[in-house]
Amino acid sequence: MRPHKEARTQIERNKPPTRSAEWSGFTFTVVIGILVVWGLIDTGIDPSRLAASGPRVWAFLDRMFPPDWSVLPTVVDASVETFHIALLGTVASVVFSSVLGALAAESVTPRFIHMPVKWLLATIRAIPLILVAMLMVGAVGLGPLPGILAIAFHSTGMLAKFYAEAIEGVPARSLESLDSAGATWLQKMRFGAWPNMAPDLVRDTLFRFELNIRESLVLGLVGAGGIGFYIQTYVRAFQYDKAATLTIVVILFVVLIEMVNHFLRTLLK
Amino acid sequence: MVEHTPNIQLFDVRFSYPGGHSQVLDIDKLTVEPGEQIALIGSTGAGKSTLLKLLDGRLLGWSGRAEVLGRALSPRRPQPRRWQADVGLVFQDFSLIERATVFDNVRIGRLGRTEHRHLSLIGRFTDRDALAVETAIRDVGLEDLAEQRVDRLSGGQRQRVGVARCLAQEPRILLADEPVSNLDPASAETVLCVLKECAASRGATLIISSHQPKMVREFVERVIGLKQGRIVFDRPVGALTPGDLTGLYGWQVADVAA
Repeated sequence: MRPHKEARTQIERNKPPTRSAEWSGFTFTVVIGILVVWGLIDTGIDPSRLAASGPRVWAFLDRMFPPDWSVLPTVVDASVETFHIALLGTVASVVFSSVLGALAAESVTPRFIHMPVKWLLATIRAIPLILVAMLMVGAVGLGPLPGILAIAFHSTGMLAKFYAEAIEGVPARSLESLDSAGATWLQKMRFGAWPNMAPDLVRDTLFRFELNIRESLVLGLVGAGGIGFYIQTYVRAFQYDKAATLTIVVILFVVLIEMVNHFLRTLLK
Repeated sequence: MVEHTPNIQLFDVRFSYPGGHSQVLDIDKLTVEPGEQIALIGSTGAGKSTLLKLLDGRLLGWSGRAEVLGRALSPRRPQPRRWQADVGLVFQDFSLIERATVFDNVRIGRLGRTEHRHLSLIGRFTDRDALAVETAIRDVGLEDLAEQRVDRLSGGQRQRVGVARCLAQEPRILLADEPVSNLDPASAETVLCVLKECAASRGATLIISSHQPKMVREFVERVIGLKQGRIVFDRPVGALTPGDLTGLYGWQVADVAA
């Protein structure tokens, strides 16, 4: 019975004292509570105003239906453009991320290279897409091009990080058999590292593509191409029946992309 | 007349891990002739795996003199690719590429051998490579599972993939690190038979390490006992005495009894 007793004392040793656990839970609740109350006061949210807005919401929905299907061709065209922006942006991002990801992988490059690259990627991730898009519109003018550039730039921050993690995740021990067989460095990468990380790379890239589709919907708001331009136009002009058509198309579009992505991911398992 | 040279010659080979106090390898002399079939026995931690890693040319930081297949090994840098292909090792933990198929794993054995060193990167191997891979897969009886991913195989099947990869390499020295420790007796016998027959038919030297002396002695001609990195006996399998094994494992028995 000795091992049991030893195991239990080990667990007890690892468990924090109960009193301090209670205190940290209490402190956490109080801090969150203070933040919520501060938020309510600061934004001046009045629950009665929300309750009184029922008829207005109803009127709003009434103006959306029936949807105006005459704009369908325009909306579908714009959705296709959004799709292309996301696709080209993702492809460009894959190219940049392959290089930056390899440079950011701790198992491949020395510290003085991978640390600055990791910081660079963190900085890129910290800049919101809409801000990048506005800067790109300023730099290259209106249209899909600034959208593609913005998506490529913005998603490289995340994708290169994922790629670096996939490379770091290849166990060095699994490459020993290739050393033993007399493989060259390139053969080790191709036949040892690549099969281990390829499914992760594809899965991460599909995930990022899906995010890029969603995020590129709003690029048109700042003139960077795609369906966002029409979202802005219809809503500002109070053409809610046209906005309804657009909303339906966007929902179908996003659901479709998600289904395709889900299917591709199941193939990778 | 061709000058006779042994396959393996070790003189005063010492090795200890950085920061470690005890010698992991402490071998004064070891000579192995071409085509010999040898069992390397000893308890866990006796230095069997380290010795095999040295003979496989991948151990660095040792001292002394080691000649394998006519080449003096360097303790400081990896050996050339051509030499490396002539020495094959079956890894104790199999060292497989988990997400690749049986076929792709076995083909890794050809990487140092193939004439298509660069073309192999785009998947182009020679007919000779393909034949060696197929033969090796058939030798271990995995032809029905060739397109299966290895992470879906049982322990025994994975062990046989490791053996097939080594056979596909067509090495002149075949090293096997505990090739049967994960197998049931029937599969163990099959694997040992395959190793013995393949080595014999190719005239290759075979060295099998094991902590189960009874199992491997039927498959070899010579037995080397290793204890704390030293060779404590080295004789033909017929001349092995019970005293040899007690000397090797006795302390373990005493330890359990205490």
